[in-house]
Amino acid sequence: MTNRYFSLEEFKALFPDRFESREEMLREYVSFLSVLDQLEETPVPDLSAREKAEIFRGSWRQQSYEWSRLWAWLAFIRRPAVAFALGLVLGCVLMAAALGHRIELVQPVAADQPLTIEHAGHTQTYTGKVIDDLYPQIENPKIVLERMDRSAPKRVLYGTINNGDIYVVWNL
Amino acid sequence: MSQYDLISDEALIEAVQRGDGDAAAHLYHRHIDRVHRICYRIVLDRSQVQDCVQEVWLKVYRNLGRFRCQRSFAAWLNSVTANTAIDYYRRSRRRPSRIDLDDSQVESLETEQQADERQVDDTTIRRRIQDALEEITVSQRTAFVLRYFEGMTLPEIARILGCREGTVRTHIRRCLLSLRAKLAVKLNQ
Repeated sequence: MTNRYFSLEEFKALFPDRFESREEMLREYVSFLSVLDQLEETPVPDLSAREKAEIFRGSWRQQSYEWSRLWAWLAFIRRPAVAFALGLVLGCVLMAAALGHRIELVQPVAADQPLTIEHAGHTQTYTGKVIDDLYPQIENPKIVLERMDRSAPKRVLYGTINNGDIYVVWNL
Repeated sequence: MSQYDLISDEALIEAVQRGDGDAAAHLYHRHIDRVHRICYRIVLDRSQVQDCVQEVWLKVYRNLGRFRCQRSFAAWLNSVTANTAIDYYRRSRRRPSRIDLDDSQVESLETEQQADERQVDDTTIRRRIQDALEEITVSQRTAFVLRYFEGMTLPEIARILGCREGTVRTHIRRCLLSLRAKLAVKLNQ
């Protein structure tokens, strides 16, 4: 018995440039054919009629059961009170969406800003974690940058020390 | 001959989609042997094949609504079968199958094993071929089985396995080399 799908052409395509001579290639081909022959000699045991019937019953009944459950759900949803309640919920959601309000189901978490910049006229005030880290010895530090016309910008550090006893003003 | 014998797969599918149980049974009997063969050669465990085949048919009936008749039903079924069997095999490998035996059972098994080793008969050769197949990865084995036992083309196998044709060729080449190496050693032992 020889595998009808394992032709010499297929073998050559599977193992290109592998053999030095045609004889070697044919020898190898025959050895692979014998492997396939051995495999073909081990047939798959047939399913008995009873096993086949069991498999069919199992799969067909289970999918029918799934469909019946789905129909039961649909029947439940189509009951007037349930349909009314679902319509109400859906209406609320659509209304909220149409009005542009987001429904917050989770409270937003406040995060510490690393750097906050406030602009007022010609001055910019820098506060936040970055400034705190730069001047750890100063309480509530803030840097105020003042830029007047044509003059160099003026940078001043404000803050306190000793639990607010001493007020610090430091030209940087 | 029943009224269904002359009906095409596509017509049977339409009847199944309307809930016709007889049409479902006929479709099943038309293809069950091929499905079972593919599952058996991929799963390799007779005790689990029946379960795997049932899973294939459950998927078929469940997804028949999505099947489009532009494609052949047999090709679609092959794809469902091969992929379900691969998943089933991988799942079953993860499940530990431990059997507790008492001393007398172990002794009797050892005696049986010694008797088997003395006599390298057909059953032993079959067992060794089975072992050699089990040692190959499931993707390689599937590509090999679909090509040489089911006669599918490389593009068809590539579509089923969701890979390129070159990969399928590599799977088959490795599988052939590995089987030859293993079977040559095992059968000469």
